Amino acid sequence: MTGFKDMTGVPEFLAHAITLEQEAAVRFDELAGMLEVHNNHKGVVDLFRKMAHFSRLHLAEAKERAEGVDVPKLAPWEFKWPGDESPESGTIEDAHYLMTAHHALTLALASETRGYDFYQGLADKAADAQVREMAQEFADEEADHVATLKEWLTRYPEPESTWNEDMDPPVSVD
Amino acid sequence: MNIQAPIKTELTFADYKSDLKPVWCPGCGDYSVLSAITKALATLQLPREDVALISGIGCSSRIPAYTSVYGFHTIHGRALPVATGVKTARPDLTVLVAGGDGDGFSIGGNHFLHACRRNVDLTYIVMDNSVYGMTKGQASPTTESDWTGSKLTPEGPGVAEFQPLEIALSAGANFIARGFSGKPNELVKLICEGINHPGFSLIHVLSPCITFRPEQREYKSMVHDGFGGFGFDDGTPDRREAFRRLMDDDGYSCGVLFKGNTPAFKSPTAAPASLADMERKFAL
Amino acid sequence: MALNSVSIALTGSGGAGVMTSGQVLVDAAAKAGWYGLMARSLGPQIRGGESAALLRLSPSPVQAMDDCYDLMLAVDWGNIERFASEIPLTSKSIIITDPEQGDVPAIMLAKNPIVVPIPLKEIAASVPQGRVNMVALGIVAALAGVPEEFCIEVLAAALKKKGPEALETSIAAMRAGAAHADKVQGVPKLDAAVKTDKERWSITGNEATGLGVLRGGVRYVAAYPITPATEVLEYMAPQLPKLGGCLVQAEDELASINMVIGGSFGGVPAMTSTSGPGLALMTEAIGLAVASETPLVVVNVQRGGPSTGIPTKSEQSDLNIAVYGLHGDAPHIVTAPTSIADCLFTAQWTVYLAEAMQAPAILLSDQAMGQARAIIDRPADVAFIGQRLKPEMTDGAIDEGYLRYKVTADGVSPMAIPGMKGGEYTADGLEHSPRGTPSTQAQHHQEQLDKRERKITGFDYGSHWAEIEGDGEIAVVTWGSVTEQVREGIDRVAEAGGPKVKLISLRLIAPALPEKMAAELAGVSKVLVVEQCHGKQFTKYLKASYTLPPVVQTLNRPGPLAIRPYEVVAALNALAATSA
Repeated sequence: MTGFKDMTGVPEFLAHAITLEQEAAVRFDELAGMLEVHNNHKGVVDLFRKMAHFSRLHLAEAKERAEGVDVPKLAPWEFKWPGDESPESGTIEDAHYLMTAHHALTLALASETRGYDFYQGLADKAADAQVREMAQEFADEEADHVATLKEWLTRYPEPESTWNEDMDPPVSVD
Repeated sequence: MNIQAPIKTELTFADYKSDLKPVWCPGCGDYSVLSAITKALATLQLPREDVALISGIGCSSRIPAYTSVYGFHTIHGRALPVATGVKTARPDLTVLVAGGDGDGFSIGGNHFLHACRRNVDLTYIVMDNSVYGMTKGQASPTTESDWTGSKLTPEGPGVAEFQPLEIALSAGANFIARGFSGKPNELVKLICEGINHPGFSLIHVLSPCITFRPEQREYKSMVHDGFGGFGFDDGTPDRREAFRRLMDDDGYSCGVLFKGNTPAFKSPTAAPASLADMERKFAL
Repeated sequence: MALNSVSIALTGSGGAGVMTSGQVLVDAAAKAGWYGLMARSLGPQIRGGESAALLRLSPSPVQAMDDCYDLMLAVDWGNIERFASEIPLTSKSIIITDPEQGDVPAIMLAKNPIVVPIPLKEIAASVPQGRVNMVALGIVAALAGVPEEFCIEVLAAALKKKGPEALETSIAAMRAGAAHADKVQGVPKLDAAVKTDKERWSITGNEATGLGVLRGGVRYVAAYPITPATEVLEYMAPQLPKLGGCLVQAEDELASINMVIGGSFGGVPAMTSTSGPGLALMTEAIGLAVASETPLVVVNVQRGGPSTGIPTKSEQSDLNIAVYGLHGDAPHIVTAPTSIADCLFTAQWTVYLAEAMQAPAILLSDQAMGQARAIIDRPADVAFIGQRLKPEMTDGAIDEGYLRYKVTADGVSPMAIPGMKGGEYTADGLEHSPRGTPSTQAQHHQEQLDKRERKITGFDYGSHWAEIEGDGEIAVVTWGSVTEQVREGIDRVAEAGGPKVKLISLRLIAPALPEKMAAELAGVSKVLVVEQCHGKQFTKYLKASYTLPPVVQTLNRPGPLAIRPYEVVAALNALAATSA
């Protein structure tokens, strides 16, 4: 389910920006948490923590912009995301207990790219000029992140296809 | 020291999460269900101390400890009776029940029937992945009869699949819906509706097990909105119509199926009396 | 015999109304100022079958069955062979029989009792609409010396709904029966009732248990019917809403015990009542209550076991499952009332214990006391009310850092209740850290096991752990409903100039309190254990848990045959003759 949905104005746009960053932060922390429990590649956890940190910085920025603005309260299903979730929430099903830094970066890159697409879409197509302007600023920032992640990814090339091979059987726990 | 007037700050979904890290496999659908439950609680702004989340045993039943509300991780199959006890003893609380397909439909199957017909105001969220994850991947009641993925039933379980929605409808559940973990915001809507609807609400959630049923990653492309050609939100209050829609269900219809009008279970009340009054009955 | 009393058995096919006659008689005797007891012997049939009302009346308080019956009135002889052994007779016993019902069966004539034929049916037929059981009531009341006015008073209350005609008919039939009483000679006369202004009650053990748990503060009950425990639940069902509580009927015992756990987790003192098969189903959940430290009370009204066993008859054979039935190391509380009247105290005390220690408590009653009705002096009010330790609140919230399973000196940790802000925790059957989060760590397991044990074994049970009477080199250690017969046996031994005997009847079965028992057994060289159990479960439990004197003998028998006072006397005399 993808598709462009326009915003009614800056307040609604900010409601989306705030929620996007907040949910991204929580999701990256969640990914860090799940891999802390299951994954022994320290770099992966650190990366997700870093992503959560950046999301929180952006959240603060978005909240700053929202000062004095009457940001509407939307129920989760009322948001106009292009997909099923807010775009920068890392996709849970892409997590794997043996994932490497390469996979983590790929996952993060995908979410940042979705974030960029979301903002750029509004920058290009929103009816409201103020929304277009603000969305462009956010999109530019996301573009920076995308570029950074791409640069990092060159340092972590795709591992061999046996990366997810597990020599041990699963454990019976309950 | 400055004395500030207490500000009633709004709780976000993150406030309903605990700092405990789940034991679920990375990639598991249950993470999204956890997220949906916390978002539903935040949407309804329910005070944490007034919510109880009760579960049985299994992967998904670990969920209460990952939230910041009152919780009870009970024993295998018994989440519904414990929750019934909480709600009938404390009608003021919002009581959610969570668990898996094995917990709810196999060992807890009898309680499921009677929870539906008793119609206590509970919201039961079943994370169905058609497998027993915590014991290394055996067939559950909702597993396909020819699934040969388990050493315990190498030829497949050979038993017809349990139909949670049909059985809930037959047994008298007052609100029946299906969601998908991959669409957590829609799931939030269903959970909110379930909580707000009086009586027993079943939210059947397709929640893939990426470890033992990796093919369930395909759920994403199989789910569709609405039952029997109706929309996601178009639940019917008519049982006959609900049955008809279920007959056309491919197992991947998502949305509200049934919204009944049966009043929720209520314990009898009586004019107050003292123990001394009661003792008089025995006096000669 | 020491105690002035008369024992009467009213028998007949179910439906003949002997239970009703018995009930009227015991209540009328109570109104006349006497004490009494009525037990029931029933067959397995829902309607019909065989039934017996087994009464004992006395001017003194009495809760034990006597050795044998002075008077037996048989409305008919249907299926008598099935329970003849439960009605012991002597050559002095009198049998009233209706010649129309045929000869007295040989099994009843073994001890050569006096047989008096009275045409009960014919007498009943002489009164329009007259009933045989009312004729029987008239005869027996007259023989026992229960004044007619009291019988009429009780009947009037019982037949209130049926109207004045029904009452007139019953009175007429009763009088027609009483007119034949002079054909019977030799029924023991009761001494006159002692005038007292003490309040007296007519109550069954199961009702007393229900009232006791209500007094203890229970306000939530989940119920699944089972013989012979259902009356506890039926008694409580209409009472609970009056006290702001409720009773929910569950789909099975797995559900009822888990509902109770839920109710108690919600902060409402909770209980259920069951019998052996139900207790067996509940054991997993009781273990959850141990691990999650959720207080609750399970009343088990014991019946003959194993399996479905003999549902309508008494036995004391669920001791093992109550004490040892939980998997893992699962310290909990097991109590037992020592009489019908004591069901009230023990039930109330058990709620108090469960709540104070945040642990499950199993109360072992049995069919013999549960379904028997006794006339008793009003039990004293006691102060035991369930009180759970809860965390303190400041400004409407519990202080930060609350730990549900905090390791404390006495092992009891403050329990937050849903609704208390800041106390949110997840109760768990998984081993857990003090905070309640699941843990597989050795240290957490050790310290939580220690605390759960400490809170039970270190608790101050005061003097209520046992009923202790008398002193002597011989002690009887017993429990449950057989206590009353033991007490009477000990009195008879004393009256006959026999050895002094000390009575120790355990009200607290588990945990065992070795120091208290050692203090009571100081100077005791011989112990007689009395129990209604084929496998001597109590004797074995005592031997495993306590240091007993070298000479220990057991008087035991499975249900349904009651252990009678004379058997206790014989066992004590035999023990006295045994060299230490």
